[in-house]
Amino acid sequence: MSLVRQIFVKAPQGVQWARTIGNSSRCMSPVGARDAPPIDVAQAIARPEEVERKKKLSGAITVPTKVDLSPISGVPEEHVKTRRVRISLPPKNAMQSGTDNLDHWQIEFDNRERWENPLMGWTSTGDPLSNMQVNFGSKEEAIEHCERNGWRWFVDVDEQPKKERVKNYGLNFHWNRRTRSSTK
Amino acid sequence: MFRAPLTKILQGNFGSPTHRIASNAIRTSAVVNQTPAKAPEKIEVFVDDVPVKVLPGTTVLQACAVAGVEIPRFCYHERLSVAGNCRMCLVEVEKSPKPVAACAMPVMKGWRIKTNSEMTRKAREGVMEFLLMNHPLDCPICDQGGECDLQDQAMAFGSDRSRFTDINHTGKRAVEDKNFGPLVKGIMTRCIHCTRCVRFACEVAGVEDLGTTGRGNDMQIGTYVEKLFLSELSGNVIDLCPVGALTNKPYSFVARPWEIRKVSSIDVLDAVGSNIVVSTRTNEVLRIVPRENEDINEEWLADKSRFACDGLKRQRLVAPMVRMPNGELQAVEWEGALITVAKAIKNAKGAVAAVAGQLADVEALVALKDLLNRNGAETLCTEQDLNIKGSGADLRSNYVCNTTIADLEEADAVLLIGTNPRYEAPLVNTRLRKSYINNEMEIASIGPKIDLSYSHENLGEDASLIHQVCSGTHPFSKVLENAKKPAIVLGADVLERPDAAGIHTTVAAYCKKLNKKDWNSFNILQNNAGQTGALDVGYQPGIQVALKSQPKVLILLGADGGKITREKLPKDCYVIYIGHHGDNGASLADVVLPGAAYTEKQATYINTEGRAQQTLAAVSPPGMAREDWKILRALSEVLGTPLPYDNLDELRNRVEDIAPHLVRLGKLEAAIFGNLAEQLGASKSIDNTKIDIKQKKLREYFMTDPISRASPTMARCIREVSEEEAKEQHQRQAAC
Repeated sequence: MSLVRQIFVKAPQGVQWARTIGNSSRCMSPVGARDAPPIDVAQAIARPEEVERKKKLSGAITVPTKVDLSPISGVPEEHVKTRRVRISLPPKNAMQSGTDNLDHWQIEFDNRERWENPLMGWTSTGDPLSNMQVNFGSKEEAIEHCERNGWRWFVDVDEQPKKERVKNYGLNFHWNRRTRSSTK
Repeated sequence: MFRAPLTKILQGNFGSPTHRIASNAIRTSAVVNQTPAKAPEKIEVFVDDVPVKVLPGTTVLQACAVAGVEIPRFCYHERLSVAGNCRMCLVEVEKSPKPVAACAMPVMKGWRIKTNSEMTRKAREGVMEFLLMNHPLDCPICDQGGECDLQDQAMAFGSDRSRFTDINHTGKRAVEDKNFGPLVKGIMTRCIHCTRCVRFACEVAGVEDLGTTGRGNDMQIGTYVEKLFLSELSGNVIDLCPVGALTNKPYSFVARPWEIRKVSSIDVLDAVGSNIVVSTRTNEVLRIVPRENEDINEEWLADKSRFACDGLKRQRLVAPMVRMPNGELQAVEWEGALITVAKAIKNAKGAVAAVAGQLADVEALVALKDLLNRNGAETLCTEQDLNIKGSGADLRSNYVCNTTIADLEEADAVLLIGTNPRYEAPLVNTRLRKSYINNEMEIASIGPKIDLSYSHENLGEDASLIHQVCSGTHPFSKVLENAKKPAIVLGADVLERPDAAGIHTTVAAYCKKLNKKDWNSFNILQNNAGQTGALDVGYQPGIQVALKSQPKVLILLGADGGKITREKLPKDCYVIYIGHHGDNGASLADVVLPGAAYTEKQATYINTEGRAQQTLAAVSPPGMAREDWKILRALSEVLGTPLPYDNLDELRNRVEDIAPHLVRLGKLEAAIFGNLAEQLGASKSIDNTKIDIKQKKLREYFMTDPISRASPTMARCIREVSEEEAKEQHQRQAAC
């Protein structure tokens, strides 16, 4: 409950430096988490074998088929067949300490040539996909999106677990360890 | 107060033997006391009412990070020691009368931390106001603008108006600019005294050049007497600096962060394989910054990798060239060049050899090998030698860094043989230095006296010392044998000696004895990014193989090391160069085929620990230059022996057939059969000659490959560093 409260306390206050590490589900679905899901009484008291049988009988059988949108999406064939999509987490900017906006997966296409436009000196490109930015909550969603569009994809840089390190102000003044700092 | 650790003073000028023994005893007892008996129980704290469990001793800031709340900070940096001087991280803790500095305060059980309360916000606002009072309002002309922590945090946490009214018109505080050398530009008025640069220089780079002078309003960061910041890691202070006080000098006023495109890639100027982000605009590489990778470069980057990128625009081969009868290289069309090359290869009837250079990528290596094998030639070798007989390059563990880069920081006794990691692989050296500081590591070196940025024992230059250490008669053998995690690092240059086989076998045998469970102590530190990959796909080490075969056609795949000369080759040898820079290789070639540099192709490189990683194309190759493997693919068509791959994926499938670990990008595949090296080793004899290292001084670090040799920034570095070294020497002589 406190999780939920935190989000509602934080949400209206404009700037947030909050970033969920690892589990992003907390930020993802605050609405659904408000109430416990209603329980069907008949289902709750049913014996396991009954549940099994019911499950088998219920609904239609779905046969998984590969969905390929590329023939109807209107994307030129060249941009479907020759492009390679990189699925990755955005890297942290080395120049800054902030880590907001980094916990999503993104897709980007292989780079094509850019040149300086002689008119204004701005950058021009003939690549319609180079400015497309699509973010995904998980790697799997991004892969599915690429599959549906018929792009060849690869996943780059998986999430790396951070090492836990204990930091201690006192180490700067430790009497015999090399962590003692001599320069201030 | 002592300005140096007590033990340093004890060991230093008062260096009587008893003193030394006493201080060692102090150190050992302290270390023994520090080893934790078992993992302590986690304690619970509440961050904005969210309970989190953390280890005791965790700081408030880290606990908040676990809860997913990021506290604003300027002085605190994850990889540096805690300074606690910017006060930006002040947060309210319930029942505490004052806000606490989150970066330095360890949490107590049951603390309720409020990161967004009225008191916390007031505290942040106050700190921001004080910082901005003396910070110049020059964001429009500041290079940090757009990626500045001070800007962002002023927007997020600062007050919406200023109370700074300069009623006496005295102006803001101003500080004289300092010269830190050719790479780092210092505009010290912008400095907010976070001391991150000072701590980086002192802790990570190991150069105690930077410091603070003066107090209060007069405090300044600098070197006190004007001198260059002589370090191979100096560029990192640019990233560390949360404001625009330290900025990139070659990149100054070049571009704004919002107009550049960032492409994640891999650095190939040393064998570490640091992760980088290439910033480009209009098909031009503007700058290179590090990308975090906990296993390789943490978040640092060596200066050569960062600043040599302007070499990518110079000395480039932009069109295929054929040498005319008058001895001049003339630009031709691709078709003509490929037909000329194909004719030469056809006429050679299998007497073709190939030499791969230091920047060759795996795809090109495989394509070249396939091409030659299809044309009846088998002589393919690398430019750098690995002169070990017996198992040679057949066993992977013979030429990779088996301990792995990340694990080297856990080592507690290290022996370096004929290597200077500080310049050959600066980011491996930072790991060793980290272990030196946190692990009380003991380190010794065999080779010339060098400055490793931490104190180490130089055992001597003589190669016979290797035998002494490895037979257990040397005093340092005891240190290695008693260590929990010992490691021996052999330099790649040592293995070019005539007695390399003996050294290799001796050390491998000794390491077998030192190895622990899950700990391999045998390391070869490569210094070329292409070497491990070439050996992995079956190239033979050393150019001798190629020279001995008396080739009629020699293909140089970026072989620019200068080891091959016209004199060594047969008179009628036809030399084909495939590469991206007009360097040693192109100057002796009969045909030059322009290839792509590492920022222009998607290519796989294997780093010194055997980790496959890929570069991504950030820009397109200049002029008529093409990706190396595509050139070879086109050539194969002209030769009538087409290679069976038309795109990168098919080529990668072929690479996977050869060795599957080469396509498992980012993952490390441990080398096996390490124990066989000794049994297969031919001899154990070691000559009594001196071991030499190529890169001993900082000025020797900057130019080691065709890209950095073409870089004007690197040339400037060499000039200024040489001048500085000469000046220092002069001062030393004058003082005597």
